[in-house]
Amino acid sequence: MNGSLVVDVLFWCFAAASVVTGYLVFRTDSMVRAAFWLLASFVGVGAILVLLAAEFLGVVLILMMAGKMLIMAVVMVMFMMNPAGLNPMFMVHQHRFAVAAGVVSFAGLSVVALTVDFPDDPVDPSIDATAELGFELLGDSMLVFQTAGVALLATMVGAIALASRDGRFGVADEGSLEPMLEIEELESP
Amino acid sequence: MRTYLAPGVAVASVAVVMAVGVYAVAVIDGIAGRLASGAGRIGVSVMLDPPRTVALLLMQRRHRTERADGPGWAIAPALLGGLAATALAVVPVARGTAVADPSTGFVVFATAIAFVMIAVFLHGWSPNSLFPLIGAYRYGAQALSLQIPFLLAMLATALPAESLAVMDIVEAQGDLWNVVRQPLGLPIYLVVGVGVSFWGPLNLPDGADLVGGTSAEDAGTDRLAWEFARAAMLFAVAAMGAAAFLGGWWGPLLPGPVWMALKTLCLLVVMVATRHLVARVRIEPFVVACWTMFIPLALVNIFVSGALLL
Repeated sequence: MNGSLVVDVLFWCFAAASVVTGYLVFRTDSMVRAAFWLLASFVGVGAILVLLAAEFLGVVLILMMAGKMLIMAVVMVMFMMNPAGLNPMFMVHQHRFAVAAGVVSFAGLSVVALTVDFPDDPVDPSIDATAELGFELLGDSMLVFQTAGVALLATMVGAIALASRDGRFGVADEGSLEPMLEIEELESP
Repeated sequence: MRTYLAPGVAVASVAVVMAVGVYAVAVIDGIAGRLASGAGRIGVSVMLDPPRTVALLLMQRRHRTERADGPGWAIAPALLGGLAATALAVVPVARGTAVADPSTGFVVFATAIAFVMIAVFLHGWSPNSLFPLIGAYRYGAQALSLQIPFLLAMLATALPAESLAVMDIVEAQGDLWNVVRQPLGLPIYLVVGVGVSFWGPLNLPDGADLVGGTSAEDAGTDRLAWEFARAAMLFAVAAMGAAAFLGGWWGPLLPGPVWMALKTLCLLVVMVATRHLVARVRIEPFVVACWTMFIPLALVNIFVSGALLL
């Protein structure tokens, strides 16, 4: 890349795209579309990380989001009983609280962005950031990351144990009924 | 310092390589089909069939469905083709010659593979039609199961190279190819790689049992773009397999790029021929096999190759 102008232009493109797609997450009327807009927003953030020379982190962020968003879309559609995810619906709830939370977090982040003295410390291009990150992960920070890794692994094993059909006490869905597609009126006791 | 081509040259070379690869897939498929069924002669007509199919599809009228998601439908094949191009771009052709050789080349390839499921899901979801939607969910299950063994099998090749750059992975195979060093790697990679590009026995999202699955509503240019992107993805998987397991440009007598092309062709023949030689697999046994067989085998592969390096 020749000079920082290209990087600057790319940064603003990705930044604007992330914000716009992030906004569209709440303006669309479908679960699946919302998940894909969110994915696009994260891809923009990942691309910005790549521009910041955190190449590995940026690409891994994009990689992880692909799987996550698909799982999220599938789970959301599953819970919403809307198998295609095409039925229109509102993506925004609790309007007053949402507006207040949005304003407060925007103000807070703006204050941080304007008042903090960010370090201006460009990375030496000869440094292989990926290799440096590897040494960091398996060097000084190894304990932290291994602890987090084992905790995540335990969570995953626990989630699978909870979700699995066969357990110590027999088949989990024994005696359960398929959910009704129509909403039935509850009988009063 | 890592090598990158200039943007214009990069796009042009990836486009040319992709077109050649897609044509190779089509021709190999034609030859394998005729050999397997014993019907039809193998002659010049095999070479002319792909352009004939393209011409036919270009003249066909496109389907429209009720309340489809138009942009999603249009983006899906473009996304899949773009992912194939991204995956191809990080595959080195010869020492020091690659479209892009980032230090995270392997991760870039993995990202392209992970986004295939986004493309396929979008493609099946957008037409607002039953069979495409079933295909989309089916590929979700298929992709989430096969990506872990696929990436683990490939990750093992990064161990001897001590680098995530594909150029270094190939460079480290000078004395011994990874196919010998990690005998489990290539079989897992190929089996699952056929599933990544949903081809032949693992064409579950677009299978005949779903009347064409995610592409059931595709006709004309829609189908052309989707088939092109799918074949390009298969080619990209074969090319990366040749680089990561068969030693890329390494080989006696012939120059590096020729070896690379031969090895890619070799893997491509194996993968494309499965469509005519291997029976269809049902999704349930495949998903179970991924989680209970391929992931443990891929982990054993990583542990053994790691232990051998220590």
